[in-house]
Amino acid sequence: MPAHTAVYVYGIIPADTEIESGTTGVGDPPGEVRLVRHGDLAALVSDVDVSKPLGRPEDLMAHEELLDGAAGDVPVLPLRFGAVVSDDKAVASELLEDHHDEFTDALNQLEGRAQYVVKGRYDEQTALRDVLTNNDEASALREQIAGMDEDAARDQRMRLGEIINSAVDQSRERDTQVLLDTMADCVEASVVREPTHELDAVHTALLVQTDQVPDLERALDGLAADWNGLIELRLLGPQAAYDFVGTTQPSPSPGG
Amino acid sequence: MTMVQQTGGGSGGSASGLADVIDTILDKGLVLDAFVRVSLVGIELITIDVRVVIASVDTYLRFAEACNRLDLTGDKEGLPGLVGDMTEGGAKHKTKGALEAAGDKLRDFAAEDDSGRGRQRQKTRREGD
Repeated sequence: MPAHTAVYVYGIIPADTEIESGTTGVGDPPGEVRLVRHGDLAALVSDVDVSKPLGRPEDLMAHEELLDGAAGDVPVLPLRFGAVVSDDKAVASELLEDHHDEFTDALNQLEGRAQYVVKGRYDEQTALRDVLTNNDEASALREQIAGMDEDAARDQRMRLGEIINSAVDQSRERDTQVLLDTMADCVEASVVREPTHELDAVHTALLVQTDQVPDLERALDGLAADWNGLIELRLLGPQAAYDFVGTTQPSPSPGG
Repeated sequence: MTMVQQTGGGSGGSASGLADVIDTILDKGLVLDAFVRVSLVGIELITIDVRVVIASVDTYLRFAEACNRLDLTGDKEGLPGLVGDMTEGGAKHKTKGALEAAGDKLRDFAAEDDSGRGRQRQKTRREGD
């Protein structure tokens, strides 16, 4: 192996898994993905040229697509993007052998489960209309601003925006709780993610048993119908359980 | 290690394939440094910032501007084209290509049809399955 080459690690899966030949990963040109096995574990890896930076959109997509593709079939412990070690031997000994039981336990906990992410976005016009018809200060500010120069109305615009933002915050909290309550019977655990857009309605990662996925989809279809025109819902997954693996202290009651 | 609940976490992105990926793989998942020390290799990471800082001055002004363009007296349609374009900001353009690439794993409930329910292509298979 040339000196500038190292081994990129995507994640850890059970050893009794095979990878389709020709599967490519991160890097330019992309490295071919292979397995490094030790005991009951295998690491998904590919060679990478460490003299070139990583993080192009293609790299990010390759990392997640590989792990999410695997997560549809087998339990997967996903590593955060950018994990590189010196060689296969280090992967086998320092990563897999030294943490063998810990990883095996974690994989067992994930057996038959995958992560799904629900994202919902408020329809802007509907959301604004709702605030303007229910908040007298907001509608008054809007009328004031309409007759004023943009710069002169800056304070009013700030205040109006703040009212709307606060109303959206409240709606987000309420609708996230509705989502969690609706999904409670078909998910094992949930993590509410931070909103990533000012009109985010819900953004939640769910750990779901494979046989409950149809229930999840039905429940979401129901919510999507209830929220038709108000919130556009998307379901992402199956994914590797990025939001449900961690190296922190054991939680007494994971889930819920 | 055990499965733990993390509340909060990172943020970033708008609604598109690449942004969804960035939300997930840059600040979630196992951190290699926690397991491997001797053989760790540093590599330069270039990151793409598609974060929208919410609850900021920009957010407030965007909302106010959107209100200004909203036609409260007219029909329910308002100005869909303008508003739709405006809310996505610059990130939309950056991530457009990736959105198409990731299309097969995004299911849009608002415009769903049953033919869109196929799973992602599977690259791994387990022996004995």
